Amino acid sequence: MKRTVDVSIPVGPVHPCWKEPTRVKCETRGEFVLSAEVELGYMKKGIERIMRGRPWQEVMFLAERVCGICSVIHNMVFIEALEKMSSIEVPERAALLRVIVNELDRMQSHILANFSYCYTIEHETLGMYLLDSREKVLDELERITGARITCAYMVPGGVRFNLRDEDALHLRASMDTLEKEITRYMGMFEHGPLIALRSREIGILTRDAAREACACGPTARASGLPESDRRLKHPTYQKLGFTPVSREEGDNFARIMVRFQEMLQSISLILRCLDTLPVGPIRGGGIPGAGEIAYSGEAPRGELSYFIKTDAAGRVLEIAIQTPSIMNIEACCHYMLTGVASMADVPSTFVSADPCIACTER
Amino acid sequence: MTLLQSLKNFVRSKSIHVAYVDVGSCNGCDVEVLACLAPRYDIEQYGIFVHNNPREADVLLVIGAYTPGWEGKLEGLWDKIPDPKVAVAIGNCPISGCLFNRPHTLIDPPVSKHIPIAAQVPGCPPRPTEILSAILSVAPLVYRDYEVRKK
Repeated sequence: MKRTVDVSIPVGPVHPCWKEPTRVKCETRGEFVLSAEVELGYMKKGIERIMRGRPWQEVMFLAERVCGICSVIHNMVFIEALEKMSSIEVPERAALLRVIVNELDRMQSHILANFSYCYTIEHETLGMYLLDSREKVLDELERITGARITCAYMVPGGVRFNLRDEDALHLRASMDTLEKEITRYMGMFEHGPLIALRSREIGILTRDAAREACACGPTARASGLPESDRRLKHPTYQKLGFTPVSREEGDNFARIMVRFQEMLQSISLILRCLDTLPVGPIRGGGIPGAGEIAYSGEAPRGELSYFIKTDAAGRVLEIAIQTPSIMNIEACCHYMLTGVASMADVPSTFVSADPCIACTER
Repeated sequence: MTLLQSLKNFVRSKSIHVAYVDVGSCNGCDVEVLACLAPRYDIEQYGIFVHNNPREADVLLVIGAYTPGWEGKLEGLWDKIPDPKVAVAIGNCPISGCLFNRPHTLIDPPVSKHIPIAAQVPGCPPRPTEILSAILSVAPLVYRDYEVRKK
């Protein structure tokens, strides 16, 4: 079929709305986007090449620096894979502390994603409100783990620091404040008429398309695929009675709303953890040995998988990482951006899929 | 120095445009630069405007160790920034490559091999306050006696 293409417009790699460099090439007819293609390769550092042949104690810190925004989940999946491979038991208190830190990290990542979206559709006020809330989440993260971004909190057999009673009280108070704030911002986003004009019915990813593109995380859940959540298969989350959220619309609005709902869900998970937190040890001990395993967990952006092969000394012989953003970027380019009515909606649609280029290219 | 020149120095140090470019970091420093925008740190109260347009920028924040994808492109970006300009390296990566600078890596640090770097903020990642104080300490130097120096 013959197509009439007016002009091919590149967006990026340096763009005011994007945190990281990537280039989206859009073929357009007038304002209408016929097709889009993403060009990656600005952030390739070769982390997997560096990791090979190194002891797990070093790879732990490298794994955390695959992605700076969702560093806790990279740490968690890597350590839990080692634990499962060498059958190391984790004390119950440590398992719940891991969930608390992981959910705090998920909250700050989702807030950042929603800030980026609000900033892209030029609703700076809501964006700044959200960034202010993010600082509160980071404070709690810093109080528990000692660092804002790269915490290295989890080690095989447990966690590094205990949650003190006064910190638990502070965490509970912050969660109450955050719940009120996020409910308010969610209402602002849901009922804002100008936000709806820029978000509803734009960048639609249908349920079938999401399944075909293997979309994951909030992007899939906004298209009605709640079963894509890997937390359903995690034993601690199963014990906490976790149920994923999902929406049916599949547009930009739904993707942002799913993130808002997940923040509220994270708050309730943290409060449930605090209620059931038993007194006991936080480190059981255990040394990773030889083995081979594929293990996945739910990152803020979707399913994160690690394949690890180690020798008896604990050196990592072979490692492969699959991060969620690559599927979402492809889903975004092939389904969401195709048929977008205006070039002005291209950055906001791309940002609504929350692409993380650093962990895509590693 | 004339009175006009000192007036210019003062006024211009209160109006700084910042662009940031990520040349291969883990994203941790990017989010700390974004955190500077938050109402708690409020970078705009110092007259610093963060946007990502190199053609209007005075200060370029370079984040990350130099990856092969940026070969030639970072220099091109640096040329596009109008004079006077400074570059500030944020984080360990542009200074030394941090923990990515190991055998079999693809990166090529330090960034100062490729573009002139005026200030460095070490840390993995540095705190937003440190980034803020680095920008504030180079801000008065960008334009100081620019007309005199140009002659």
